[in-house]
Order: sequence, then structure tokens, then C-alpha cells
Amino acid sequence: MIRSIIPLVAVLLFFLEPVFSLFSPIEVGDTLFILVPRFVIVYLVFIAVYYSRQRAIIYGIVFGLLYDMFYIDIIGLYAFLYPLICYIAAGIIRYVHKHIITVMILTLLLVALLEVLSYSFVSLIALTSIEPDIFMTTRLAPTMIANSLFVIMFGWIFKKLIDNRVLLKGSEAL
Amino acid sequence: MPRFFSNKRLILLLVGVIVLVALISFSLRDRQNASFPERIVKDVVGFGQSFFSKPAHYITGVIGNIDGVLNTYEENKKLKARLSEYAAIQSELVDVQAENDNLREIINKNDNLRAFDPVHATVISRNPDQWEEKIIIDKGEAHGIKRNMAVITASGLIGKVINISSTTSTVELLSTENRNFRVSAVVPGKDPAYGLIEGYDQMRGELIMKRIDSSFDIKVGDKVISSGLGGIFPKGLSIGEITEVSTDDYGLTKLAYIRPAAKFSMLDHVIVAMRKSETVDGTDGGGTAGTEGEDGS
Repeated sequence: MIRSIIPLVAVLLFFLEPVFSLFSPIEVGDTLFILVPRFVIVYLVFIAVYYSRQRAIIYGIVFGLLYDMFYIDIIGLYAFLYPLICYIAAGIIRYVHKHIITVMILTLLLVALLEVLSYSFVSLIALTSIEPDIFMTTRLAPTMIANSLFVIMFGWIFKKLIDNRVLLKGSEAL
Repeated sequence: MPRFFSNKRLILLLVGVIVLVALISFSLRDRQNASFPERIVKDVVGFGQSFFSKPAHYITGVIGNIDGVLNTYEENKKLKARLSEYAAIQSELVDVQAENDNLREIINKNDNLRAFDPVHATVISRNPDQWEEKIIIDKGEAHGIKRNMAVITASGLIGKVINISSTTSTVELLSTENRNFRVSAVVPGKDPAYGLIEGYDQMRGELIMKRIDSSFDIKVGDKVISSGLGGIFPKGLSIGEITEVSTDDYGLTKLAYIRPAAKFSMLDHVIVAMRKSETVDGTDGGGTAGTEGEDGS
């Protein structure tokens, strides 16, 4: 059970993402605010930072591929972006202290990066025509607020979960 | 040794980018149906997804009920005022319908563009990155769903089926920016004005109805329904109400902005309308059957 808890949590988050996106878009006044749940990538960044880069990239490819096939119908987009974000996370964390607060901030920055990358891709293939400033206010800002709530609530739990797994692995190796 | 590693990494990155571009260009082609591995993934993930979305719908249902109870008094007052009016319209409707049936029988015409079989479906997820306006429903090929069928809610048309697997299907909403998404619509009346719903104004949150002959007289406040002439959609699905009439870019035809009747946020239960009369691949489909394949734009 404890052995497979890390992929299980990832599967759970993968399924929860679209459930939360059912609540979006939110209409406040006359403008629609779009909230994009990015739970999987938050979790993957935590894995990349506290567990192993290689695992994070493999999970990134698998979940990115599933995400592309089931929801997006553009195969290869998230299967590329997820591992890329994990790679960047593992690269940056070598230069900063692995304190939970810094990791949380790093995670949020990377979520913003993912959002900007996906925006530049869809505007490249002309799926959307919204202007960058409107993207910032109606999409990026609410998405960041929603995801920072998620990170603050679950960051500790993820860290604890992964630390337990690492400890277990360490004791097995002995 | 570090040079060797960086070279290897570079090659890996390049191969990755090439594979990515190939896959994306493969999936961006105007595909008619999902490929075999995709269908398997869609069925399996859809199965798992429905476990998660059902409790979520239950919770939103409970919240909706509480909200409903709080507004009951106000609503009751309003509804009572309209009740007498409603009874009159109801009796008139029954009368007109009976007459319509009789007349149909007299001229021996059983085929009716308006008739459709409703298939009730639950929305199991909304495209989570929300760039394209898509929802996924829990009914598929096994339940008789086909591509391009109309999808409605109680208040009106919301979109059409664009992709099916055996137990799930993907629905593209009317609020999409996809230019190939057309719905043949009509402003009913003595001289019905035909046109095409083509495009969505993101800023106004309104649909754009184009190619309306300039001799037709349409007014702000007119209702717009599907015409049934597009080949697949049944006739009479409510689309919305005209909010502004202007001329198109070339000044040859009229253009109307339409406030959609249905809301596109918080969808949970939808109905797929299976038309009873014969269907053809017309405007509501991916284009006419003859030009399919040549016309990629």
C-alpha cells in the first residue's frame, strides 16, 4: 500500500482536476473568470524536489499523455510540458534551500510558467484569440489564486507523504 | 565527460522536440474519429472519471437545492403572476399541436424535422485547461451517439458532439472560437430569416449569426432557433435572442449578435438530440460530404 501511495495520489489528483474545472468559469459581474486546476503539476514538482527527478519526469510523461488523449485531443502538448516543468524544478532546487515555503513559491512560479507556455502554444495554433492583457486578468490571476490556495492546503501533506516514502526506501536499502 | 553528457542531453531534447511536433501535427489534422489507442484510453479514463464526477454533481446539487429553497418566496410570487398566462398558452399549444398532427395525417407526411429521441447524459468532465470549450459526457457509440449530433440543456442548444468512443463522447460548446463550427439557424416568423451561427464573441459573451439575406427583416429581441436544414440537428432547438443587428464586413448580408439561451458554465446534465428523420452531412456537420477532405480550412 505505502509502496504505491505516490502514484495513487497522482491518479487521484488527475481525476480531481476536471471535477474542479466543472465549477469554472466563474461569473463575477459581467466578466468570466477562468480557473484552471493544476493539481497534478503541483504534485509532480513536489516529487521532483523531494523525491527524484527521474520519477517526476516519468510520471509527467505518463500523465501528460493521458491528459492529452482524454481531454485536449492534441497529443504531445502536456506530455512535453509536464516533464519540462519537472526538469526545470529539479534544476532550480539545486541552487535554493529546500525549505517548504521556498518550494511552495517555486511551485507557484512554475504553475504560472506552465500557464504562460500553454497560452503561447494555443495562440500559436490559433485556438484562442484573447489578448495577453486579458489573459493575465481573466485567466492567469484567478488560476494563480486558486492554485496557491491548493498549494498552501496540500503542500505540507505532499511533503510529509513523500518524506515518509523516502524514509521507507532508506530503511529498505539498509 | 561533462561534454559527452551535454551532447547526449541535446540529442535527447532534439528527438523529443521532433516527436512532439510530429504528434501535434498528427493530432491537429482534421480527424474524423479517434484512433484505436485513443479510444481505449478515453473509455478507461472515462470510466474512472465518472466515479469522481458523480459525487461532485451530488454536492453541487445539494448546494443548488439550498440556494433554491432560499429563493422560493420571491420566485413563487413571480411564478404565480405568470401562471394564468401559462394555462392559456398551454391549452392553445395542445390545440395547435393536435391540429398540426391532423393536417400532417391528411397530407400523409409523417416525417418531422422537429422530432428527436432524447438521450440523457451526465457531464463527467470539462476540458480542464479550458482553452477549447469542450465537455465530456458519459454516453457514447454504444448508446447510439454519432458525430455532429446536437447537445441541449433544458434551456437551449449548447453544442455538438465532435468525437466519440464507445462509452464517452466529447462535446464542443457553442462558445467555441473554432471557425468550422456552424449551426444552421432561423429567426422564425411569417418570413423566416435563415442564417448560420458562426463564431462567438468572447468579449460580449454572445454568438454571431452570419449570412442572413439583407432582404429579411430581423429585429432586436427576436428568438433564434435551429432550422433543421443543416442536415443533422432537429428543428426548433432554442439558441437565443438577438441583441444587435448590423451588416457584415462586405455589406452584402446581415449579421446579428445573439445572447445564448443556455448557460455554458456549470453544466451537469445534458441531452443529446437524435433526430428521427433522415440525416445528411450538411452545414451542421463538418461541411458538405462532397468537399470533405479538400476543404481543410
